[in-house]
Amino acid sequence: MIFRTAGQYKTSYEADQALFPVKQDFYLVLGILLLGYVVFPLTASEFTFKALLVPVLIYALAALGLNILTGYCGQLSLGTGAFMGVGAYATYKLMTIVPEMNIFAAIFLSGFFSAAVGVAFGLPSLRIKGFYLAIATLAAQFFLVWLFEKWAWLYNYNASGAIEVATSSVFGITVTGPTALPIVQYYCVLIVVTLVTWVAINLTRGRYGRMWKATRDMDIAAELVGIKLMTAKLTAFAVSSYIVGVAGGLLVFFWKGAAEPNLFDIPLSFQILFIAIIGGLGSILGNFLGAILIVALPVILNLIPSTLGIPVDSATLEHLNVMIVGALIIAFLILEPHGLARFYAIIREKFILWPFPY
Amino acid sequence: MNALATDMATEPDAAAETASREELLRVDNVSLSFGGVKAITDISFDILKGEIRAIIGPNGAGKTSMLNVINGFYHPQQGTITWQGKERRKIKPHEAVSQGIARTFQNVALFKGMSTLDNIMAGRATAMKANIFFQMFWYGPAMREEIEHRKKVEDIIDFLEIQAIRRTPVGKLPYGLQKRVELARALAMEPDLLLLDEPMAGMNLEEKEDMSRFILDVNQEFGTTIALIEHDMGVVMDLSDRVVVLDYGKKIADGTPEEVQGNQDVIDAYLGVAH
Amino acid sequence: MLYDVLIDPFVQMVAVPDFFLQVIWEGFVSGVLYALIALGFVLIYKSSRIFNFAQGIMVVFSALTLVGLHSMGIPAIAAVPLTLLVMYLLAMSVERVVLRPLVNQPDIILFMATIGITLFLIGFGELVFGGENKVMITEQLGIPTGAFELEPFGGFVLIEQKDVTAVTMAILLVVGLLLFLDRTKMGRAIRALGDDHQAALSVGISLSTIWVLVWFIAGVIALVTGIVWGARAGVSFALEVIAYKALPVLMLGGLESVSGAIVGGIAIGILEKIFEIYWGQPFLGGNTETWFPFIFALLVLLFRPQGLFGERIIERI
Repeated sequence: MIFRTAGQYKTSYEADQALFPVKQDFYLVLGILLLGYVVFPLTASEFTFKALLVPVLIYALAALGLNILTGYCGQLSLGTGAFMGVGAYATYKLMTIVPEMNIFAAIFLSGFFSAAVGVAFGLPSLRIKGFYLAIATLAAQFFLVWLFEKWAWLYNYNASGAIEVATSSVFGITVTGPTALPIVQYYCVLIVVTLVTWVAINLTRGRYGRMWKATRDMDIAAELVGIKLMTAKLTAFAVSSYIVGVAGGLLVFFWKGAAEPNLFDIPLSFQILFIAIIGGLGSILGNFLGAILIVALPVILNLIPSTLGIPVDSATLEHLNVMIVGALIIAFLILEPHGLARFYAIIREKFILWPFPY
Repeated sequence: MNALATDMATEPDAAAETASREELLRVDNVSLSFGGVKAITDISFDILKGEIRAIIGPNGAGKTSMLNVINGFYHPQQGTITWQGKERRKIKPHEAVSQGIARTFQNVALFKGMSTLDNIMAGRATAMKANIFFQMFWYGPAMREEIEHRKKVEDIIDFLEIQAIRRTPVGKLPYGLQKRVELARALAMEPDLLLLDEPMAGMNLEEKEDMSRFILDVNQEFGTTIALIEHDMGVVMDLSDRVVVLDYGKKIADGTPEEVQGNQDVIDAYLGVAH
Repeated sequence: MLYDVLIDPFVQMVAVPDFFLQVIWEGFVSGVLYALIALGFVLIYKSSRIFNFAQGIMVVFSALTLVGLHSMGIPAIAAVPLTLLVMYLLAMSVERVVLRPLVNQPDIILFMATIGITLFLIGFGELVFGGENKVMITEQLGIPTGAFELEPFGGFVLIEQKDVTAVTMAILLVVGLLLFLDRTKMGRAIRALGDDHQAALSVGISLSTIWVLVWFIAGVIALVTGIVWGARAGVSFALEVIAYKALPVLMLGGLESVSGAIVGGIAIGILEKIFEIYWGQPFLGGNTETWFPFIFALLVLLFRPQGLFGERIIERI
């Protein structure tokens, strides 16, 4: 009886096109925001911030970026990891060149670099399609990671070949570097993620979203109704890579603290792709659900043996982990190929109709 | 359908009337081939402003290829296309849309994952211009534009009587309704020339009557010129002002429905065999 | 500078032809192996429209199983058929557990499922046989390990016998496969499935039998590739990088063309080696083999979107 859409009449197109036309949805999102901004910071431990909350947010953001390209515009990309790397390295270089720069400004600016690289590698999408394009995005993946390794200027000629995050502060609060508090970093990530998610929702429900979805569903028909495929695909590549780049900047600066080139290698790309697909392609919410699952799973798997009192050495555990994740992916695809977001949609539908079955 | 027949009967001077009308599109000596296969050979005809022009012919006669040439999806090897009095250079399909040529498809080509409303809104793609930065924040021009176009789209939804399925993903709609949504999407482009590729294929009688009514309404209320491909001869003879008949990529007849019906070539190639 | 990059490498190729030949031979051998892996992809794609990402990991998994079984005390003669049995069981369980429930799902879902298989096999293989690098049981399998020395142009070219074995085995495998596809009833069924699933089903071809068969053949190809590549580079999951090399081969040769896979594989093998030796190492700091094939295939595709062997695409509406 709580979730009733009946009786909420719209009297203007403004109201009908509002962010949350149904007021229960609005309360739900308000509740989640409250949880994220108030409840978690008050209750979570340092471990929870570092191992669960921050990774979930960052991975969800990267998956959101990928989802715009793959889920909304239908262009499969296997190069997400490398584009995250572009964002991270760009932020790093910006912070080296202008050390007093606000870290948020640096991260949002560096998104433009990854967007530019994304558009460059997106150009082939105008000529090639489907799996051929997916393989083409691997070109970006391998080339960029190779570049991160070989171009010493990118990591300031460090002997280690890695980038390390220097301490920086905003309004007198230390936000990056080894001395930054996890709770502060969590808030930084949360604010960026909230903002970008809101922008992504706006883009996907408007004119650009329709262009992307039309291209995804039937590119020839899209062209014949007057959509410029070039604009649609390249904006999708640009927006997607921008968001992914921002996620990469967050990954290094607010979570890992340091990064070697191989961090951005193909396993990261696949991890993000898993999140997007298990969460649900063509959905915003799904990215968060998928990220929660993929991040929490290894943490929980690690806890099981110790709580049961079975001694398992860490290497075995790691192998077991990989195996179980692989099996779970297959299981999820079989159970619900449209992802967790579809699960949620079904449950919501049931609630609206409750207590009647139809 | 009877009503339509009487409509036609009350316009005995239809031929005389069309003769005085202005030319909207003309195709001259167009030929198109794929590799060695000739799809269209040396076809010429014109479409006058405000008329309903039918293109008929047996399967594989080159009808759909002809529509594809008109809206710039295929480029003919020979011949010229004159649009609104000016010879047209080689164009892309989306340019054809902005010049005022819209179409529907033989096999429904809707965006299956999108709602009816979004599909029709997508038809307004060329008309919408708001900057991506306003889009990002759903603010100012972007929001105003969205509402302004939504109003136009809602008019079309009312006109075609599809209010109830506004929010339904089109993939879930029955075939007849999908065809109607496709017509709605084409109308959203506010075309001067509307190309309909077998709008009534696979429909039952009732759906065909509805669709015929919509096509006539579009033609008369909006003054939209219509070129249509259709296999149902009853519909073709009732709706169209003039008919062009293709067979094996060649034009074999051109004229009013009555003239075409009496043409011996047509009867041999098509009607005579079919009935 | 421009001279160094654009002209000098070619001058060197002509000036030291024996070294150039050596480079080409090395590239050719790895190209043959890329072609083999690509062939596994093509077979599965043709018969089931599945882009099987796990093909590369099947190479490692089969090699690991072979070595692992041998280290458990099973003689090489028995270990090979046993490994084949394992590959058959794998094909069967993939069909039963993954493919059958996912029939008719979009391509991308099946593709993701094969990545799931990849992860599962990595975890499973490491769990059972351990994650450390192993040595392929080259001698026990009777693969000769010596080398021929040729002396063309007054220099010398070193040709290892195991590479010759690799190429010979690959040729035999490919010829056998082509005969099988062309001459047998099963082969015809596979080709029919590749053309049209529903039509093939309606004339009484059993989908699941064919799928098991095709995945098993892919497993056999994987085992052969695993043995010969393992003999050159050792056996560990680091081998999976060669699986990625098969992808640009597919781009170049087309996802459905057997001859495309072979020609594309050899071309990529040779070109990446030449680029690495004459341009990559002197100018770019080396290790260009990771990306060169992809960029090369990409550039070719930009000018020929249908690939080297595809037919011209006519879009219809």
